[in-house]
Amino acid sequence: MGQTASDAIVAAEHGAVVEQEGVRGRSPWQLFWYRFRQDKLALTGLIIIVLLGVLAAIAPLISHGIVHHGPNQLFSNTMLTQGGIPKGPNGQFWFGADSAGRDLFVRVLYGTQTSLEVAVIATGFAVLIGTVIGLIAGYFGGAIDTLLSRTMDVVLSMPLLLFAIGIVAACSTTIQGCPIGPLHLTPGLPIVIFVIALFSWPYIGRIVRGNTLSLAQKEFVEAARSLGASNARIMFREIFPNLVAPILVYSSLIVPSNIIFEASLSYLGLGVPQSIPSWGRELSDASDWFTVAWWMLVFPGFFLVLTTLSFNLLGDGLRDALDPRTGR
Amino acid sequence: MSKKRYLGLGALVLVFALIAAACGGGGGGGGTSAQGNAGNVKKGGTFRVATEDFGFTGAFDPTDEYLGEAWGMYTNMLVRTLLTYKHTAGPAGNVLVPDLATSVPQPTDGGKTYTFHLKNGIKFGPPVNREITSKDILYAFQRIACKTCGAEYGFYYSVIKGLKPGAMPGDPGKIKIPGIETPDDKTIVFHLTQPTGDFLYRLAMPATGPIPQEVAHCFTKAGDYGRYVISSGPYMIAGSDKLNIKNGCSGMKPISGYQPSKELDFVRNPNYDPSTDSPDVRANYVDGVTITIDTNTKDIWNKVQQNALDGEISHIQPDTLAQYQSNPDLKKNLHINSGDRTWYITMNLTQPPFDDIHVRKAMNYVIDKQALRKAWGGPASGDIATHIMPPTMTGGHPTAAEYDPYKTPNDQGDVQKAMAEMKQSKYDTNHDGKCDASVCKRVLFLNRGDNPTWTNMEPTVVADAKKIGINLVPRELATSAAYTTLQTVNKNIPISLVPGWGKDYPDPYTFVYTLFHSSSILCQGNVNYSLVGLTPSQAKECGVKGDISNVPSADKELDKCEPLTGDQRTQCWVAADKFIMEDIVPWVPYLWSSVIQATSDAVTNFDFDQFSGTWAYSKIAVDPSKQQ
Repeated sequence: MGQTASDAIVAAEHGAVVEQEGVRGRSPWQLFWYRFRQDKLALTGLIIIVLLGVLAAIAPLISHGIVHHGPNQLFSNTMLTQGGIPKGPNGQFWFGADSAGRDLFVRVLYGTQTSLEVAVIATGFAVLIGTVIGLIAGYFGGAIDTLLSRTMDVVLSMPLLLFAIGIVAACSTTIQGCPIGPLHLTPGLPIVIFVIALFSWPYIGRIVRGNTLSLAQKEFVEAARSLGASNARIMFREIFPNLVAPILVYSSLIVPSNIIFEASLSYLGLGVPQSIPSWGRELSDASDWFTVAWWMLVFPGFFLVLTTLSFNLLGDGLRDALDPRTGR
Repeated sequence: MSKKRYLGLGALVLVFALIAAACGGGGGGGGTSAQGNAGNVKKGGTFRVATEDFGFTGAFDPTDEYLGEAWGMYTNMLVRTLLTYKHTAGPAGNVLVPDLATSVPQPTDGGKTYTFHLKNGIKFGPPVNREITSKDILYAFQRIACKTCGAEYGFYYSVIKGLKPGAMPGDPGKIKIPGIETPDDKTIVFHLTQPTGDFLYRLAMPATGPIPQEVAHCFTKAGDYGRYVISSGPYMIAGSDKLNIKNGCSGMKPISGYQPSKELDFVRNPNYDPSTDSPDVRANYVDGVTITIDTNTKDIWNKVQQNALDGEISHIQPDTLAQYQSNPDLKKNLHINSGDRTWYITMNLTQPPFDDIHVRKAMNYVIDKQALRKAWGGPASGDIATHIMPPTMTGGHPTAAEYDPYKTPNDQGDVQKAMAEMKQSKYDTNHDGKCDASVCKRVLFLNRGDNPTWTNMEPTVVADAKKIGINLVPRELATSAAYTTLQTVNKNIPISLVPGWGKDYPDPYTFVYTLFHSSSILCQGNVNYSLVGLTPSQAKECGVKGDISNVPSADKELDKCEPLTGDQRTQCWVAADKFIMEDIVPWVPYLWSSVIQATSDAVTNFDFDQFSGTWAYSKIAVDPSKQQ
């Protein structure tokens, strides 16, 4: 991690303080936090993400306790004109109505849940699969590496939208969805998460493999091996801790692209069903209405941009803080 | 709106009208509108139309083509048939009039023989330039019979003795059809295997128009003749006169006015003699029609508003419709006409809980049809449907006001009545008006996922069904995939919002017979989605999973009507409609949709072609000085 070098940088930056208190050892995480704190944009991103998380968590409280509208409650009599045009924001409907006559504020609020769920769960699966496969490929090398690396290439070269359309079509004609082993893949969130995880793990996998390749040559690995450590132990106890920083950085960077991915799938009608609010879906509906109902475009769009921007800023901040050698 | 996409479905099946996403639509109340005063209308100018895509099903070959928009072009401009329509809006536009024939004949031989005499002086357009004879009409039927020609609605002609649609091998010109006689150049006689009350309508479909063998014998593969169509009408494809037919098949290059990915242009046919036609049928004001492709819907509508185009063949988007309705200057250019089309929720008679008639009736009571229509754009999009056939199909009767077996206040649904029906169902064991059986816990509900009209209707249907204890689980597919799934019987889809049905010709046969006769059930490509009249052997063959013991049949009621003619026939079909609505209840019909069209300020006379559901090109007039 170049600990000495970065200590020197910190010392140079804050020379006066260091001199007064004397040289004190700092753990890598202390260093990270110290650098991260300096990055106001990244901090803002983090705060917004935390706020969005809180909003998502208390969405039912707000919708039932404050505005008294459910996400699927229809107000087609009051909030749609005779011609079916949605009405704009008012005292009761803060963001106006969507084209089906539902409260857009509540839909956007619940959309936060959907986006964050997809972001966290799909990215989680992708990281898990990517890390394990990347570690195995990088550590063992040879034929195993070739096989796994080419698999990643194949997955990355698949036309993902066509693939998603195929899966949705195949799994939508029965009530159980389509069985994948013991699991039943039903349209909606499960398929969206499946597709996103399936297509984003190779990004993590490649990073992990590359890092593992170089780490596997390091002295501490040789030392561990000479002490008789098993492959599994070396991989997960020796190498893995050194991978945490890059994994953290890259997962925070694929989170926003996964959020966008969910929005795109929903925009194309391949994502979550009507009953589950999704920003992408709301934006898709808005594309037919925006000239007479700007609110349908503006509010879900704003939240989508805000969320992805926050995750991007956070990811940038994490990268700068965890790996200071990559300057901006 | 007016983009009707038809698929031919083989064998006995009749028709199924697939409306692409583009067919949403909306206009007001199914009223008809004709503007301008024919007395003051000036001839000349070009009527300019744009569309996102031609969407032809048969590459514009009249033998094959099954798209309503194309039928409008043929019948108004390019292909005259023995009989035709007046090319106007409303029930008047659904009445047969003679075209090539001197009169509309009465059948003889107990309804099995029809004899036609042809008018003199009707010639093919350039480069053929000769008088049309009965042999040219026979040749059109030989192409319908021809194995390679690809006639998409040939099944309508299987009632002609010895004609096997799409199944007779060899050169079409040599195919023998015993049921069609041409004793001389001006007489053609049809012999049918059985009395067929709507046979005359089938002779007004474009596939039966005369085709000159000297050109068409070169094009006997499906769709090939589409770029060489020789006119028999008032207009021809621009550049037809340049077609070289002197050097055999290899010398012919496609007519320049039709470029499938770009444009289709029509100019006057110099050989057309107006004295053989009637201004009531075709007035032919404009000198030409250009139909160009513009993939940007918004651009098309903007150009119509700026008088840079005079019309559109395009789906009106909800915000554009709103704009038109709120602006009087635009509203006067909006034309809303009945599309002879029913949109409905279909319920599968073999799948629980819809295998119980009380559940199906409860669904008819509980659905808020007003809310569904709002998703289409409100009253402008059409009339609330209360039964199977749009009133225009039966001469204006019965209307929604006259027959509404599941009437609810303001068509917004009536939960009390619905629950009263549900109470009588075996699936409501405690009789509280809500389904309490396990079969109601998760019921697959197939919908379109790629069209906002459908996705906006979905929450209403789900919420309404829940009021009587049915939990619908929506599954959304792209329109074409949704249709394919619904048409595959062994998918056993219990309920769906996907389908709509439009007429092929203005006889209820193309509506109720096709949709509800047991003979129309096919394992693949089935359009009798509810499986009305399903027999045990069909159930087994097609892989129906479910209880078929309670599946009712309408065969008796439908078979009764087919040989009848005139008012008796209409009354018979109306009775069949009632029988289906009350004793079978396969649908929740919710909308008789209208066709919405917009014209520019340059259009001085507008009419709608009720038969084809599109522009009455032969009645349109423009003022070139107002065109941009």
